Amino acid sequence: MFTIVDDPLDVGALIRDAQRPGCGAIATFVGTTRIDESEGAVVEYLEYEAYRPMADRKLEEIGAEIEGRWDVGYVSIVHRLGRVDPGEASVAIVVAAPRRGPAFEASRYAIERIKEVVPIWKREVWSDGYVWVGSQVGSREGVSAKP
Amino acid sequence: MIRVLLFGAAADRAGTREIELPLEDGATLAEVWPLLAERHPDLAPMRDTLAFAVNGEYARADDGVSPGDEIAVLPPVSGG
Repeated sequence: MFTIVDDPLDVGALIRDAQRPGCGAIATFVGTTRIDESEGAVVEYLEYEAYRPMADRKLEEIGAEIEGRWDVGYVSIVHRLGRVDPGEASVAIVVAAPRRGPAFEASRYAIERIKEVVPIWKREVWSDGYVWVGSQVGSREGVSAKP
Repeated sequence: MIRVLLFGAAADRAGTREIELPLEDGATLAEVWPLLAERHPDLAPMRDTLAFAVNGEYARADDGVSPGDEIAVLPPVSGG
């Protein structure tokens, strides 16, 4: 399953969906909002947006790349959009494989590829302004270029 | 006309998420940028960081663009 959603992720359900009699390993990567601190300010939440349906299609392409490279039984990638509060999950990658090596490697590959090719963007909303991650455009004094 | 969608920091700087631009038949993606930068000068400093998509797929400067196409302006992606 490759999908983009607006609601909180149910990681437990995603893992249960991956269980297969022919698979001896399920590797899961979950990306979560981290509270960073700098210059006396803190990250309050992250906000994600995507170019759809291109982003959906790129997630499917990553799944196809994984199935071409590793012996896996099941791959799912779910990315959340909108506001994601500290500790909450923005992305969940679940790979089931007959053996653990490919499961670990493929889940790592998926998150690295997401950060390279999937048209999704995040904005850090700090206590003193915001910054678009990767562009350094925003309203934080001294940290970002003004929009 | 072509439809240009802007995302993330590009939408922020331009102050809009969607604009329409006039474009001749037989144009290339490279010809879109000057029109865009003229309309929204605040985008100009981002030029070297941007990627572009035509009809939902990454495109290069010499790729053709036709009336009715959807062009997307993509700042560095930051999903995950």
